[in-house]
Amino acid sequence: MESRVIVVTSGKGGVGKTTTTANLAAALARMGKRVVAVDGDVGLRNLDVVMGLENRIVYTLIDALEGVCRLGQTYIRDKRVEKLYMIPTAQSKTKDAVSAEQMQQVCLELRKEFDYVLIDSPAGIEAGFKNAASGADEALVVTTPEVSAVRDADRIIGLLESMDKTPIRLIVNRIRPHMVKRGEMLGVSDVLDILAIDLIGMVPDDEAVVTSANRGEPLTISSTSLASRAFTNIAHRLAGDDVPFMSMEDDKSSGFIGKLIQAFRK
Amino acid sequence: MIKLKGMPDSMLRCIISEDLLACDFASSFEEMRKRGEGVLPGARVVLDFGARALSEDQICRVMKEFVWPAKAEAVAWITYDAASQALLKRIGLPMVEPSLTQKNNSPRKGLRHDGSLRSGQRVEYPGDVIVVGHVNDGAEVVASGNVTVLGRLHGLVHAGAEGDESASVAARSMEALQVRVGSRVGSLDRDASWWGKPVIIKIDEGAVLIGFWPAVKAEEPSKAQV
Repeated sequence: MESRVIVVTSGKGGVGKTTTTANLAAALARMGKRVVAVDGDVGLRNLDVVMGLENRIVYTLIDALEGVCRLGQTYIRDKRVEKLYMIPTAQSKTKDAVSAEQMQQVCLELRKEFDYVLIDSPAGIEAGFKNAASGADEALVVTTPEVSAVRDADRIIGLLESMDKTPIRLIVNRIRPHMVKRGEMLGVSDVLDILAIDLIGMVPDDEAVVTSANRGEPLTISSTSLASRAFTNIAHRLAGDDVPFMSMEDDKSSGFIGKLIQAFRK
Repeated sequence: MIKLKGMPDSMLRCIISEDLLACDFASSFEEMRKRGEGVLPGARVVLDFGARALSEDQICRVMKEFVWPAKAEAVAWITYDAASQALLKRIGLPMVEPSLTQKNNSPRKGLRHDGSLRSGQRVEYPGDVIVVGHVNDGAEVVASGNVTVLGRLHGLVHAGAEGDESASVAARSMEALQVRVGSRVGSLDRDASWWGKPVIIKIDEGAVLIGFWPAVKAEEPSKAQV
């Protein structure tokens, strides 16, 4: 099976790129794939924290690019999930420390060893994003159902299209179904109407994400929360499985009767 | 003695040498009419007398012996002699060569953009533009002519961007908060009746007007200032 290099990007900051990268990487690894998650945000690294691996950093991607070490020496193997690896980046450098050509070379090498290479892109449309995307074939665009995030996503999709990345697929994150119902939040169909790319997943707003990020434990490793299930479904769809989209409704909001009905459904 | 030259815009220049004596007018004109038989009738001719001092008599003779028999249209009488200029002016004959930059009657070429414009993409064109798709929020179309959006208009459109206030903007669904025509800027409101509807926007009496497109025949098209 051919290796896949996927950049996870958004344009807007804070919409869930790093969370998505970490959770998808863990979910794919749990499915038996050999996965490496690469932190593309030089100077503002976060993937290490979200994955709970910051205390194990010895060498970073920048060290490898500068010839201080081999690329293989930067890999951090996650002890919780077999076949899950991460490559951290430097916090003390800036985006100038990497070039597009260097990232392409890194991706070429990583392809030889991994089934999936997920690159966590920084926010923005400048060199940081361009470098992160340069070595990738495919893209996952993360957005929240907010006007500003959607506009930024549109911008980034335009740039990805001009860079010939394909396929470019959408993840709509932090959906609050009750707000959508009240007409206070864009629905997924509104977002799709504007962005006009294929939807690969919807993730509900879930407090569990905040806790998991702080603890450094991606949800998809062990949690069964809604967000965790959503990310796992996305991982399956990435791998080619046909998984129906789940309802965004929060279990808690359905109340006692709701839970009773759900119990009977099972 | 008399030269006939071609000029842009299908005009002819008849250069009458200053050395040509008045007594030679008749023969020279006749010769010129014969030579120019194929081109003179109906042609627009600039009569260039150089520094010659024209007399009333000479002017009459040029008309009677050349312009009228040749069936040409004398569009300008050019002389550098001040007295002659005053004379021509008094008589009311045209003295200024027609501008060579005539109004371009050839059809203005248009640009057709297939597909939507995403945020950050910009189309700039010296003519009409048709977008077969949407103009997303953050996209821009700047055209010297008209702009037609066969989709949602959410981004910024500027028609008549070089100052042509006869330009218009048409959109299948108006969802932009600002539109520009000529040198005017119109601000729009989400609560307005035309929001999300097909519209045509133009300038009328100095104001940017928006109306439904197509106009419904049975009633007056509702127009409002934006």
